[in-house]
Amino acid sequence: MAPPVRYCIPGERLCNLEEGSPGSGTYTRHGYIFSSLAGCLMKSSENGALPVVSVVRETESQLLPDVGAIVTCKVSSINSRFAKVHILYVGSMPLKNSFRGTIRKEDVRATEKDKVEIYKSFRPGDIVLAKVSNYLLTTAENELGVVVAHSESGIQMVPISWCEMQCPKTHTKEFRKVARVQPEFLQT
Amino acid sequence: MAGLELLSDQGYRVDGRRAGELRKIQARMGVFAQADGSAYIEQGNTKALAVVYGPHEGMGQGWTQGSQLKGARGRHMQDRERKTGGFVLEIRGSRARALPDRALVNCQYSSATFSTGERKRRPHGDRKSCEMGLQLRQTFEAAILTQLHPRSQIDIYVQVLQADGGTYAACVNAATLAVLDAGIPMRDFVCACSAGFVDGTALADLSHVEEAAGGPQLALALLPASGQIALLEMDARLHEDHLERVLEAAAQAARDVHTLLDRVVRQHVREASILLGD
Repeated sequence: MAPPVRYCIPGERLCNLEEGSPGSGTYTRHGYIFSSLAGCLMKSSENGALPVVSVVRETESQLLPDVGAIVTCKVSSINSRFAKVHILYVGSMPLKNSFRGTIRKEDVRATEKDKVEIYKSFRPGDIVLAKVSNYLLTTAENELGVVVAHSESGIQMVPISWCEMQCPKTHTKEFRKVARVQPEFLQT
Repeated sequence: MAGLELLSDQGYRVDGRRAGELRKIQARMGVFAQADGSAYIEQGNTKALAVVYGPHEGMGQGWTQGSQLKGARGRHMQDRERKTGGFVLEIRGSRARALPDRALVNCQYSSATFSTGERKRRPHGDRKSCEMGLQLRQTFEAAILTQLHPRSQIDIYVQVLQADGGTYAACVNAATLAVLDAGIPMRDFVCACSAGFVDGTALADLSHVEEAAGGPQLALALLPASGQIALLEMDARLHEDHLERVLEAAAQAARDVHTLLDRVVRQHVREASILLGD
């Protein structure tokens, strides 16, 4: 990795808008790019386009889930119309303070949206992979849904299809909206 | 006190400074590990501590200390408590106050009971503290790029440990460093300083003795790079002919503070990157 050019502070004028395009940690005013964070100045040289000027901090500041990000959350409560979740991880970074999210009944599946029953898709305590869209979460994709769930007897269940999970000890099947996790991410 | 000369014939003030000279400033960032951002500043004998949390999910009431829960009863909200260094935060799940297009900046000012000459009975919640909190909020809403964090809340908590004049300025300077430490994007630093007017000369950075003497006092918070004023406040009466000079003295002092804070921040960023390895 190339060594950082220099350190900068908020309000410092970095360069002209003709010499670079603003990246994260910067803002533009009157045709100039100013820094908005205290950190290291990074210039990424693009081929053809203008270099992207951004300011990065060494320590991770508070992460906020962006639209389109995959988040890992834990279901806290359910009712017939939606499920409330606590967002624990954004991508692979854990959050210091958990955010709260909602998964509406219509956003659980991509097909047969009106026939969805929340009770048969999620239960409180399940770990769910969801995608952020406009202050709501959606699991309407094959790769999204319940990843870890415990049966009523408290044992972690094994997924057997996209809508069912089975408890290895009691062999009872329970309905969930299961995520199809890529094989390389499964730990056995 | 009769006979106390605020400005001597040779141009020296009570503590030996010149008219435009600032008091010694020492500042440190990152003093609390568990807060998102924190800073401590000493301006002469005035000591202020600032702690920043956020941006986090928009909360209902924000802060309250310990048993003084206001408006908590009879509302459908989930309570979660988090302890930080002696202050108990009451966090509620209601999103009633979150703004849809920008972040909410919530400031609270508190001065310790031992901060002034006589022991104070109410550390916060009194009128002066509420007003200060409001002024700090106005100041920081002008500087923080709130559009980048919609529906979130940023909490700034400032505590004055020792008050020897210029408490607003010290609070603003400490809060700026704390917001920077938290990594919240800002348009520019906010640097503040107080100024007064005695015997036809504008004095910068008033100490408690000079404030108590009863002359006009001006508090100015400036965004140095663009020269924009975030907040300007004045007590007592001042003839408009003198305003220009006092304002210029305060602005110059704020720019001097900026030079100093600039050095502190760069030093801190350099140390942080050395520790983390590059």
